[in-house]
Amino acid sequence: MSELKRIDTLEGKAGHPALCVLPEIEKEDELFEIIWTLKEEGTLTLEQIIQSCTIQECESILVDLAKHGWIELTGQTIELLPKGEKRARELVRRHRLSLRLFYDLFALDGAEAEACKFEHILSPEVTDSVCTLLGHPPNSPDGKPIPRGQCCAMFRQEMKPLVAPLADLMPGEQGKIVFITPGSHSRLDRLSAMGVVPGSVVKLHQKKPSYVLQLGETMIAVDKDITKEIFVKKV
Amino acid sequence: MHDHGSSDSERNRSSNLHKVLLIGNPNVGKSALFGLLTGTYVTVSNYPGTTVEVTYGNAELNKTRTLVIDTPGVNSLVPMSEDEKVTRDILLTDKADVVVQVADTKNLRRGLLITLQLAEMSVPFILDLNMDDEARSRGIVIDQNRLSQLLGIEVVKTVAIRRSGIDKLLKGIQHPRPSIIEVRYDDAIEGGVRDISSLLPDAYISRRALALMILSGDESLNGWLHANMQDHVIAEIEKIRQAVQSKFNNSLGYLINQRRMKKADQVLAQVLTRHDTGKRSAVAFNIGKWSMHPVYGFPILLAVLYIVYQFVGVLGAGTAVNFLEKTVFGVYLNPWAVKIVHFILPVPFLQEMLVGDYGLFTMALTYAIAIVLPIVGFFFIAFGLLEDSGYLPRLAVMVNRVFKIMGLNGKAVLPMILGLGCDTMATLTTRILETKKERILVTLLLALGVPCSAQLGVILGLVAGLSGLATFIWLGTLLAVILLVGYLAAKVIPGEPSDFVLELPPIRVPQLTNIMVKTLARVQWYLKEAVPLFMLGTFLLFIGHKVGALAYIQQMTDPIVVNFLGLPSRAAEAFVIGFLRRDYGAAGLFMLAKEGLLDPIQIVVSLTVMTLFVPCIANFFMMVKERGMKTALAMTAFIIPFAFGVGGALNWVLRTFNIQL
Repeated sequence: MSELKRIDTLEGKAGHPALCVLPEIEKEDELFEIIWTLKEEGTLTLEQIIQSCTIQECESILVDLAKHGWIELTGQTIELLPKGEKRARELVRRHRLSLRLFYDLFALDGAEAEACKFEHILSPEVTDSVCTLLGHPPNSPDGKPIPRGQCCAMFRQEMKPLVAPLADLMPGEQGKIVFITPGSHSRLDRLSAMGVVPGSVVKLHQKKPSYVLQLGETMIAVDKDITKEIFVKKV
Repeated sequence: MHDHGSSDSERNRSSNLHKVLLIGNPNVGKSALFGLLTGTYVTVSNYPGTTVEVTYGNAELNKTRTLVIDTPGVNSLVPMSEDEKVTRDILLTDKADVVVQVADTKNLRRGLLITLQLAEMSVPFILDLNMDDEARSRGIVIDQNRLSQLLGIEVVKTVAIRRSGIDKLLKGIQHPRPSIIEVRYDDAIEGGVRDISSLLPDAYISRRALALMILSGDESLNGWLHANMQDHVIAEIEKIRQAVQSKFNNSLGYLINQRRMKKADQVLAQVLTRHDTGKRSAVAFNIGKWSMHPVYGFPILLAVLYIVYQFVGVLGAGTAVNFLEKTVFGVYLNPWAVKIVHFILPVPFLQEMLVGDYGLFTMALTYAIAIVLPIVGFFFIAFGLLEDSGYLPRLAVMVNRVFKIMGLNGKAVLPMILGLGCDTMATLTTRILETKKERILVTLLLALGVPCSAQLGVILGLVAGLSGLATFIWLGTLLAVILLVGYLAAKVIPGEPSDFVLELPPIRVPQLTNIMVKTLARVQWYLKEAVPLFMLGTFLLFIGHKVGALAYIQQMTDPIVVNFLGLPSRAAEAFVIGFLRRDYGAAGLFMLAKEGLLDPIQIVVSLTVMTLFVPCIANFFMMVKERGMKTALAMTAFIIPFAFGVGGALNWVLRTFNIQL
């Protein structure tokens, strides 16, 4: 149980999700996660799955899953069937949300290991609450997209999120940047060169006629649109 | 504002000199340091983007003949705008013996981002922590020895505008070293760096740095790549880049910057101590705050404009011009000149050429020295004060929304305001804008609707004699035209608008010595550039007058000037010389008005046409240089009929509705 075959360091590691070695049903879960991730990368083949998978009986589980209508296996190609797709999506969503929770909010080392345990026990309601609490983050800390849940579509604001867009701060308040969801790559490149990166503390000076931010000794004027994409935790 | 040191040819001549390259974030004092090292003045101001060109200056440093090179400020050596590209390119194509990275001590975090990139490039450099005084007054102290240890390079502290620490800097530049500090990126990125490096040719900067630039998606590097490598290798490199990028959801440039920032923070944690000083120069901070306040910001803007108007329009264009023109030139110089010329040159033709109605002395010099010079002088002083206070970027915050209508953002207000100084230099400054669309738009608006200092001064002098309504109509027409043309041009010119991201420098008390030196440098530039053109223009008028061409032109233009615009025939002269310099044209109108040949409506109409009229020759050449001949000609072809069209319409409205000015 405690044997973790591979733990990715975070921050944009380009690997597969850490492989959590767990009982039967959780071995299946793990395979679903691998399939989802490979599909995202566009390299989904049987060979790749076996390469990425650390479970011995990997192939036999796959055959089993195919038998029960989760996936479709034809030679090298694998397709997720609707119910398998749903299960994989929810798993990956729980995993990546858990990562965000541990990594950003609790700044925990070994977030990956904790997330592995967490993903299996979160109920759908709790998952949506976590998602809301975090401000419906679009990406996990390693930069991979978090599959959207119902709560994101409805964007319920019943629970006051801990992480909110910078645009929602009141003038004079400050927050620590948790993540940024840029509209364009060049926008993010420019901001990061001025010190606007996750972890930086930013103070909102004013909203009108333009937004003015302060980071350390740097004062920057920006469009409102940009502040909607910078998500902060109030400090 | 044309005050750059020397040209490219000078650089080539002296390419075997010892070279010192100044590099750093915007607004950290590179130009101040450059002035100190070389004794050559380059414009020093308190806003990012004052320097948009590379400037070369000779100096004797440590008993070695040295070429000092000043560069536009950069936030990253992966350029995001044209002025940043200028800086990166010089690192890429010109091997410097020493790079001096100038950093703002209180903003070391961002400075370190550049330090880390210079370290990656393996160039020998030293780090200068400038504005140490300002950092200390904010309670920020940097342990320079520890920093030097961590980076493995010399670190010195200076306050360039007070000349403090320069001896240490000079000692430091004798020992430049590549830095030992390294940033490790993600395995996938490091893999990409290895693969790309193996394909790259030798360069002045390390392959690792080049590979990281390529991975960051630096399109401005394409020119260099194509000049130095074969197409199939470039294609292969692009394939590697895409393969690495496909592994991440965020852009590689961002991930790379993020990792650098993290490293910078680690370094900073070991060298920075912060004391609470309690007094954070609250006055300056509050002035900065109020000047961008959604309510108080506008009255402050109006107050600033009013003070500038009083200073330049009333004191400069009124009092100073009257004194110089009526007393100095009118009573003393011109009559003396006439006497002297008549005495020593008994040839009527030459007499007339020098001191006649279109005389080089009585017209050209009188216009240049007695009318325009005092006005631009006063303007340069007021403008310098505004530049150094840090107010101009805050203006951008106020007008951002209005500029969005024109497909621009608040940042574009900087070149537009600079245009009030000199449209030629302002056209060059459009480099600070990020997209081509914005640069074209601003170039057009500058050429069309922004009067330069000399012209503006003369105009202020003219409208000072009119009612507030007349001034309002002139200004309102101008602003409406700028908005309308901007709005329409933004629809026509392809491309995307860019984000408004502008750094605001702290509000500072302008230094009188810098204002004086800057004003003198600009006045000198004005005399050098304007007076010869005034002479040329006058000479052409004189010849035209002599051979009757002037009368012919007036006849030709009468249908437009007299019938359409409702102006006296002689106004055509002003428009003709307006081709050479707009201020000269405006000065021509000034004289007509003084002679009582223009009624208020005629003044307003002629001023509007003159303001919108073609850019001066120097500005036109700058447009050609920066935007290309085709664009420059297209703009001019649009502007001339448009200017007369607006003037005619204005004339019609004012006459038809019988508006009393």
